[in-house]
Amino acid sequence: MSIIVVGLSHRSAPVELRERFAFAEARVPDALRELRAAGLTTEGVVLSTCNRVEIYAATPLAPETAFAAIRQFLIAHHAYEGALGDELYALAEPHSLRHLFKVAAGLDSMVIGETEIFGQLKKAYDLAFTNQHTGALLNKAFQRAFNVAKHIRTETNIQRGSVSVMSAAVELAEKIFSSLAEHEVLVIGAGETSEKTARALQSRGVQNISVTNRSPERAATLAAALGGRAVPFERWPDEFARIDIAISSTAAPQPILDRARLEPLMKRRQHRPLLLIDIAVPRDIDPAVSELDNVYLYNVDDLQGIAAEYLKLRQEEVARCEKIIAEKVAALLEANKYLTADGRGEGQRRREG
Amino acid sequence: MAWFTDRHCFLLAVTFYGLSTIYSVFLWRKGFRRDDWANYFLLAAGVALHTLAMTKRGLTLHSCPVNNLYEATTFLLWTLGMASLIYSLLPRLKFLCAFTSPVLFTLGVFALMPALDPPHGPKPEFSGALRSLHAATILQAYGAFGLAAVAAAMFLAQRHDLKVHKLRALLSLLPSMQRLELVTTRLAMVGFALLTIGLAVGSRLPRKEGVSFFADTKVLWSALLWLVYLEALVAHKFFGRSARRFAIVLILAFVFLLLTFWITNLLSGLHRS
Repeated sequence: MSIIVVGLSHRSAPVELRERFAFAEARVPDALRELRAAGLTTEGVVLSTCNRVEIYAATPLAPETAFAAIRQFLIAHHAYEGALGDELYALAEPHSLRHLFKVAAGLDSMVIGETEIFGQLKKAYDLAFTNQHTGALLNKAFQRAFNVAKHIRTETNIQRGSVSVMSAAVELAEKIFSSLAEHEVLVIGAGETSEKTARALQSRGVQNISVTNRSPERAATLAAALGGRAVPFERWPDEFARIDIAISSTAAPQPILDRARLEPLMKRRQHRPLLLIDIAVPRDIDPAVSELDNVYLYNVDDLQGIAAEYLKLRQEEVARCEKIIAEKVAALLEANKYLTADGRGEGQRRREG
Repeated sequence: MAWFTDRHCFLLAVTFYGLSTIYSVFLWRKGFRRDDWANYFLLAAGVALHTLAMTKRGLTLHSCPVNNLYEATTFLLWTLGMASLIYSLLPRLKFLCAFTSPVLFTLGVFALMPALDPPHGPKPEFSGALRSLHAATILQAYGAFGLAAVAAAMFLAQRHDLKVHKLRALLSLLPSMQRLELVTTRLAMVGFALLTIGLAVGSRLPRKEGVSFFADTKVLWSALLWLVYLEALVAHKFFGRSARRFAIVLILAFVFLLLTFWITNLLSGLHRS
């Protein structure tokens, strides 16, 4: 008995192909039942996300035989009639286990170190477990994968930091303010990126958001979507007495905020710290404002620079993570040696006499 | 073990402060990126030995050990070290120890100068319960000011990194600017309150004949210090002085305190034996 994985991911197949093989959650238990009924697997988990579709299985068949059979199953199940080459990959032990651990730790993700895949993998495992499609081998492998992912998260920097402009802005805000819930945000310009940044701040606790735009209708629409309030564009400087974070993304050809305009506003704020995120190109905010005490100005290049540095940091951690994974895979394979063909462990065999 | 005196104990404490300082340099070079208990325990070991040293001295003298400049300095350092250990337990303030240990080590080495610790005669330089309370409260105030200065230094370091867009501002596990400002302000307020109490108690102490209270160097120096901290707190809390300027004032005030504390004590008729 061994664990194999067959599937396709963002690394091997374009999204048009991945979506053809995607499994709806409701159909997964039946698909696993079919696999077992056909004698191809004794245990199975289906992981189907926007970036990958994978079947992890414990199979009594020789790996090559199992690969061909599961490939055929996938094609038949999804009624796929096109050509299929290297897009579908198949891995046997120990590579299958290494792949599973890498996926759980976010090392195989589009954004290295991302954490969403951990939740998705857990959900896929829970679905299979609840429907009794897992056994000793996959239970152990998946539990180890989750533990390894947690271990890697605490011991390395692979999940550290923000790799998008929005999350970099949030991280900056959290470095300046101890609790975002107590601070107000002003969104100047109702663009997509400023909306995403405002939502990212909201997800970290910001409760009060004001939106201003040259078009009052757009300001009102975005304000409603964010649960905030719209402010007339000619009155946005007045908001500076209350807000602590401003996200600016207008289409203005010239800066709308410069040092001369901001200095009196800072006096009204009693010099409380102010974070200015300027994601407009050309820039909305004159760089000279950063010379003012308590003003922290970051433009889109700065935020992208932060995201790039974090990505570089994560990539430097990959080798360390892979070493941890190699050790854990070896340990799991060693432990699995003592499992019988029906998956019973040594302890269980002794108890049963 | 009779040869092992309180000064030997304090020397060991200073050694641990030195080790903590060296470790702190490595933490600083790494950008305070990873939580680390090692430095905390090095400092804790130093403070434990320091406490033992002061206890031994106190038991020998049968009084609170704040009777000469060596004892006053060690008491101040002990307050600084102990407060640092306590505050470091708060979320994200663990690296306070990294900023405090260099101060403890430097002043500890200075305190070990033999001239600061003359042999005690039958009549210590300053004695009595009220005098002990005065000295202990004042020195605790200095300790609080010291920790405020350390927190202010952390604030300025973090502020600089954020201003010039250094990635280590984000990578480091230092607290947020707002939290550092709050800690700095509260420590300065505690120090100011203790200083006020200490000075009030000191004004009630019996004085030697012919020694003018209001013309005494130490009294004038203390009043100046009190006014400096009062001005700093009021300007920051009520007149919108920026956190950066507040931090700079606190650091400069504490440096002034350190540089002039001993000379004013020596020049003070009220504090000389």
